Amino acid sequence: MRLRWLYWLIGGIILFLIPHVISDEYWMHMIITTGMWMMLAVSMDLIYGCTGQLNLGHAAFAAVGAYITALLMLRLEWSYWLALPLSGLGAAAVSLLVGVPTMRLKGLYLGLATLGFSEIVRLTLLMWASVTRGPMGLPGIPLPTFGSFTFESKTSFYYMILALLLFTVFCVYRIIHSRVGIALMAIRDDEIAARAMGIDSSRYKILVFVVGTFFAGIAGSFYAVYVSFISPDSFKMLDSFMIFAMPILGGIGTLVGPLIGALILYVLPEATRVFAQYRMLWVGILLVVTMVTQPLGILGGLETLAGKFRRPKNGVKAE
Amino acid sequence: MQPLQQLVQQIINGLVIGSVYSLVALGYTMVFGILGFINFAHGDVFMIGTFFGLVLLGTGHFNFTAALIGAALLTGIAGVAIEVVAYRPVRRFGKGFEDTMLVSAIGVSIFLETLAQIIWGTETHALNSGIHSVDFQFWGLNVSSIQILILVTGVVLMVVLHLFVTRTVTGAAMRATAQNMLAARLMGIGVNRIIAITFAIGSVMAAVGGMMVGAYFDAVYPLMGWTAGIKAFTAAVLGGVGSIPGAMVAGVLIGLVETLGSAYISSGFRDGFAFIILILTLLFMPSGLFKARKGEGKV
Amino acid sequence: MRLHLTAIALAMLGLLAAGPVRAQDITIATASPLTGTCAQDGNAIKNGAVLAAEIINSKGGINGRKIKVISEDDRSDPKEAATLANKLTNDKDVIAVIGHYNSSCTLAGHPIYARGHLLELSPASTSPAISVEGAKPNSFLARTIITDADQGDFVAKWMVKDRGFKKVAVLWENDDYGLGLKEVMEKRVPAYGGQCVAVESYYMGETKDFRPILTKVRGLNPDCIFIGGLYNEAALVAKQALDMGWKPLIFGTDGIFSPALVKLGGPAVEGMMFSGIFLSDAPIPIVQEYSKAYQAKFNIEPSEFDAYSYDAMLVIAECIKKGGATRDGVWGQIHSVKVPGVTGLNVFNASGDVVKDSIKMEVQNAKIVLAAK
Repeated sequence: MRLRWLYWLIGGIILFLIPHVISDEYWMHMIITTGMWMMLAVSMDLIYGCTGQLNLGHAAFAAVGAYITALLMLRLEWSYWLALPLSGLGAAAVSLLVGVPTMRLKGLYLGLATLGFSEIVRLTLLMWASVTRGPMGLPGIPLPTFGSFTFESKTSFYYMILALLLFTVFCVYRIIHSRVGIALMAIRDDEIAARAMGIDSSRYKILVFVVGTFFAGIAGSFYAVYVSFISPDSFKMLDSFMIFAMPILGGIGTLVGPLIGALILYVLPEATRVFAQYRMLWVGILLVVTMVTQPLGILGGLETLAGKFRRPKNGVKAE
Repeated sequence: MQPLQQLVQQIINGLVIGSVYSLVALGYTMVFGILGFINFAHGDVFMIGTFFGLVLLGTGHFNFTAALIGAALLTGIAGVAIEVVAYRPVRRFGKGFEDTMLVSAIGVSIFLETLAQIIWGTETHALNSGIHSVDFQFWGLNVSSIQILILVTGVVLMVVLHLFVTRTVTGAAMRATAQNMLAARLMGIGVNRIIAITFAIGSVMAAVGGMMVGAYFDAVYPLMGWTAGIKAFTAAVLGGVGSIPGAMVAGVLIGLVETLGSAYISSGFRDGFAFIILILTLLFMPSGLFKARKGEGKV
Repeated sequence: MRLHLTAIALAMLGLLAAGPVRAQDITIATASPLTGTCAQDGNAIKNGAVLAAEIINSKGGINGRKIKVISEDDRSDPKEAATLANKLTNDKDVIAVIGHYNSSCTLAGHPIYARGHLLELSPASTSPAISVEGAKPNSFLARTIITDADQGDFVAKWMVKDRGFKKVAVLWENDDYGLGLKEVMEKRVPAYGGQCVAVESYYMGETKDFRPILTKVRGLNPDCIFIGGLYNEAALVAKQALDMGWKPLIFGTDGIFSPALVKLGGPAVEGMMFSGIFLSDAPIPIVQEYSKAYQAKFNIEPSEFDAYSYDAMLVIAECIKKGGATRDGVWGQIHSVKVPGVTGLNVFNASGDVVKDSIKMEVQNAKIVLAAK
């Protein structure tokens, strides 16, 4: 326990040194994209792992963020640093549109609502051609600049996503380990009981939904400037499903679980890319096998980072 | 063509595609009724069923009907296999793991789609059903024999299923299990067997639906389960998950709304209509048209 | 951590499996959909380039160096195209890229290729939006295929002026490609004296039920249908119309032109008409030679897209000969070379476009032949 700070230091140094050690740009690209998926997985887990709200449309919020950034930078020529937070806020605002009316839905019904909603977002982006250029997408999104420095190299993007990811993880951590966090735990375990105790469950659920989608919007914003091109197909329904599977695979309600889940579900198919079509086969098998053997995810039974937010061993969830 | 005839023609189109959605929706709704989760892999079972049929037809030894039956049987077996491998083990962990089953279903779905792509490639295949489509013309309308076949088959199957569920002992066992699994078990009902039967029936329906669609569009491809699946489970929700008559009615409704919307409002937004229905249903009528099983819907 | 290491190990195995590249080889990449609904054309693109490289190599290569072709799959997905663009740009051996097929993929990869000074020579993307990008300085973008502005105009004239079909129903694929064609039709059909009585969209690869659209369109009594899309959907449209007791005259551009059209459509596509550039049995010596070689190697008939891809490889080879085997060297030559090819003379204007003459084709007796009228 005493040496904990040492582990943090070593970890920090490794993270810092990665771009200087890995010279293969393709691997850097993978690492950067994994970072983005991790952001999505962690923010997803805030919504799902902490309050049990099934969100099957998370990718759509990332898409909203991506489009906001793209449009602001292309049409209005705003700086990325202005577009980035606005993308997060925009995604969060949109989530209110979803969250408020569906507040009373629970479980699967909420999941289906978010699913339907995410498809409507995609179709809107596709059909509203006058603004979004529809299926043609938005190419040529400018690179972020900071004074005279342009974010062009993989290294620069790596640090950016690292910063964004750490920010996300930090925020989520703070939320979980605050009084809000305790309320969230109560809601997740037994919403009716929590309400009986005077916790305004609706308010907390919406809060967490909004915060989670804020980060999704930021992740989408990053994607837009990193790849310089987005289209309505950039974030598909399948992506939402994968994002949903990430925390479950890694261990819900833990901070590290979603990170691991993102790593596996993204890196595995990419690393086996040589096997062309077969790679997705393994993803499917992996999901089934994991669910069947360790339903609480890879980190399932283990203690979380701070040891506070533990899932009950018998896995009984209130509904 | 007169506007009225146009309308009727489009309605016919909608009914036909709607009855296919109903067939597939039945699988979703029955499984949800008993297990409480949406089997996302069901759409892919629909697809695999059609490919089974494609293969059988391709051997040249089967005509369409024989291939249909063969495909249905094979798919029924496949459906049970999926339940045993991917869902039953999760059930052993006790209640409250529906989301785990969901992820498992997603895994199965990805696996099936990829498998189909590997075996048959990603292009579209013509089914070559060999059905000689006769075109009936009356009152200025055109109805093809395939359309009639689909409607008739759909209705017959649904009636048979309804009778099965309401008039047979197994059917009663299914309803009992859906109502309260624990009580059913206590009463001596082999719950696992009933669940297997449910999956088998649902998969058979899906395979029939798939073969119909394959013949109707003359197109079979690995991702066909995706869109049809989503519309079908929208139908299940709209009808009230767990309600068989609900799924039947809702499937047809969605087919109608989609076709008419596509014809009169916007063909590009076609798939969107189903989602709008889904959202509206969930917001205003989450228990569906024919109430879902007890306790579902709202907090 | 362990998983990550395993992943790295697997990837390294993968890199090894790709095979060593000899220092003197010139690496040229093809990027097209090898899987997905456009896989047929995507594979044709790969084949055409491979055949061209083989023939060039058999004649001694370029200045003694052999061409090595690596083929990538973009799955018709713009995101995938962007990832591939990243990968290819970062592979220092790759001198030029023949790709992509779908216009949206070409556009998605473009900014990345441009940044890496890697020539993106498309043998198949016809969207006018590409001319716009190609015209910008240092675009590193060009194409051997003629644009939809030309093809659409050609077909519009054919339908309305040559055949006298005044009322045209337009079915278009809801993406760059279809959108470009739709817009051209909406302008050019009236310009020739006709009228677009219906304009309906569908989604490539997703829309399978055309009955609502067809029912609606039929009610408007068009003289003919124009399909702004690809062969899969064209076959479905024809089949489903037939099933409805209707045999409309259907026109299209080279997106429909593919042997797969006949295979999928059967008797329903008899009489379907489209524009194109390349007919495998045309009585032109260079075409005959090409067709023979292609048939011999791949055992299938050549199509337009392998022909365009073949020409693309010839163009790149010429650029390398003149400008050197470097990325900037190749780009420097692109606007000045004149390369006779299987699809015509390849000369690129300032937007990176070529000007070639289209020909009229139709399906007769399950074969694609020159149109009678």
